[in-house]
Amino acid sequence: MDKWKLIAAASRFDIPEEELNRIAPVLEALEAAFRPLAKNIPVETEPAFIFHAGNGERQS
Amino acid sequence: MTLLEAAAALRAKRVSSSELVSASLARIAALDERLNSFITVTGDSARREAERADRELAGGIDRGPLHGIPIALKDVFCTKGVRTTCGSKIFADHVPARDAAVVEKLTAAGAVLIGKTNMHELAYGITSNNPHWGAVRNPWDLERIPGGSSGGSAAAVAAGMVFAAMGSDTGGSIRIPASYCGCVGLKPTFGRVSRFGVLPLDFTLDHMGPLARSVRDAAAVLNAIAGFDPRDESSSRAPVPDFMPPEPASIAGIRIGLPENHYFDAVDEAVGRAVRRAAELAETLGARAVPVRVPDIAAINTVGRIILLAEATAAMTPYLDDRAKFGPDVLALLDQGRFVTATDYVNAQRLRRLMRQEFDAIWEQADCLFTPTTPIAAPRIGETTVEIDGQTEDVRLASTRLVRALNVLGLPAISLPCGFDPRGLPLGLQIVGPAFQEARLLRIAAAIEDALGIRPCPPEEGLAQR
Repeated sequence: MDKWKLIAAASRFDIPEEELNRIAPVLEALEAAFRPLAKNIPVETEPAFIFHAGNGERQS
Repeated sequence: MTLLEAAAALRAKRVSSSELVSASLARIAALDERLNSFITVTGDSARREAERADRELAGGIDRGPLHGIPIALKDVFCTKGVRTTCGSKIFADHVPARDAAVVEKLTAAGAVLIGKTNMHELAYGITSNNPHWGAVRNPWDLERIPGGSSGGSAAAVAAGMVFAAMGSDTGGSIRIPASYCGCVGLKPTFGRVSRFGVLPLDFTLDHMGPLARSVRDAAAVLNAIAGFDPRDESSSRAPVPDFMPPEPASIAGIRIGLPENHYFDAVDEAVGRAVRRAAELAETLGARAVPVRVPDIAAINTVGRIILLAEATAAMTPYLDDRAKFGPDVLALLDQGRFVTATDYVNAQRLRRLMRQEFDAIWEQADCLFTPTTPIAAPRIGETTVEIDGQTEDVRLASTRLVRALNVLGLPAISLPCGFDPRGLPLGLQIVGPAFQEARLLRIAAAIEDALGIRPCPPEEGLAQR
């Protein structure tokens, strides 16, 4: 729990303490589920981003 | 009446587009005070578009099955001159200067836009209990959620206000409301339908697709909206076939993968039974059910949550300082996204590539997968947890755990009604296929729909009396 509060303070996130208390267990569980998955990614694996240089900019 | 039946009636001159639009607007006027499925109704422009469609059809100009048909758009699709709120206070006064690509294509196909549908705030949730525009209610039981985030689109289709509606799906947001409202919801392959001009929730997980009253209606909409768009960098140049299933739709020889792991774990008994019955029915039509083991879906879901948290918070960064403009559940998710490190995000996108390769091996054993869409029927409005098999589970995580992985993998998936629970609430069958095989997926779904004979209509007296 304290870890998330320290990260929020260091990153200057403007998140009220009661909200932090609410989301901390969710973050804890997500981190515990995710980090082991990331340990065995082969080094040459590219991320599944999409970027094509020279395609022209998207209009909005 | 389905979209295709209305299209046939138009061509047989048994009805006009103006009459269809008037009937649609009258139904919205009669029911939407209770359902709250629309944020904006564009009645005047719809009547004008309908008159034009009638003139064109009378003059021999036929733009196809959507010509003159009233449809709705989830309020994430930008519409030139028509407010596009994304179900948010932030965009309450946002009037786009141009149409989304999907809107351009639907307009070119002659569809008549009847309005913009209510949704979960920012498309970031599954209840459609919107703090700014009010809760959308399920036409089958007004005390229940329609699902989300495309809840207004599903409710409007299920209640017969429009023949079809567009939705967006980032972690199940088309298929969940289709399942809870008893209609058809199609999430095409990532890249099949342009994302250009859609207010983004998540740049690499957002998919656009239709909600409709039948599988063939969904195919008719997909025929109109699919195709390459250079304005969307993720848009695919894959050939676009005719998606309309033949009548009858044969599935002889099709191998239906029935997952032995994950998809039937912790699902309501009625849901599991209805989906297995659909597979048995498929076997009577000449298909073959084969047991398959799927990769770790919970891990794929975890990767999807990391990507979604990071990208959604990135998209909303300009607005995060004004916390009062967000509802509490969306704000909690946006806050969580601030804690996802860049390393975790990049690794999630790397894992996504590996998981996709691993998942593709399934298609050597099966041509499609049959799974439940949601493990439960529609929960009550305000419920935050549900009990399944004696276990208490968060409503959002329960509703998304069978659908989210397909967004990470980018694979096409369709939800169609396959039965009812003991309370009379509709249940959804999800059919999943290989990338860019929507035509096969729709053919299988149409065969099942025809054989089941289920075109659920919510009880009219329930809608009218409350």
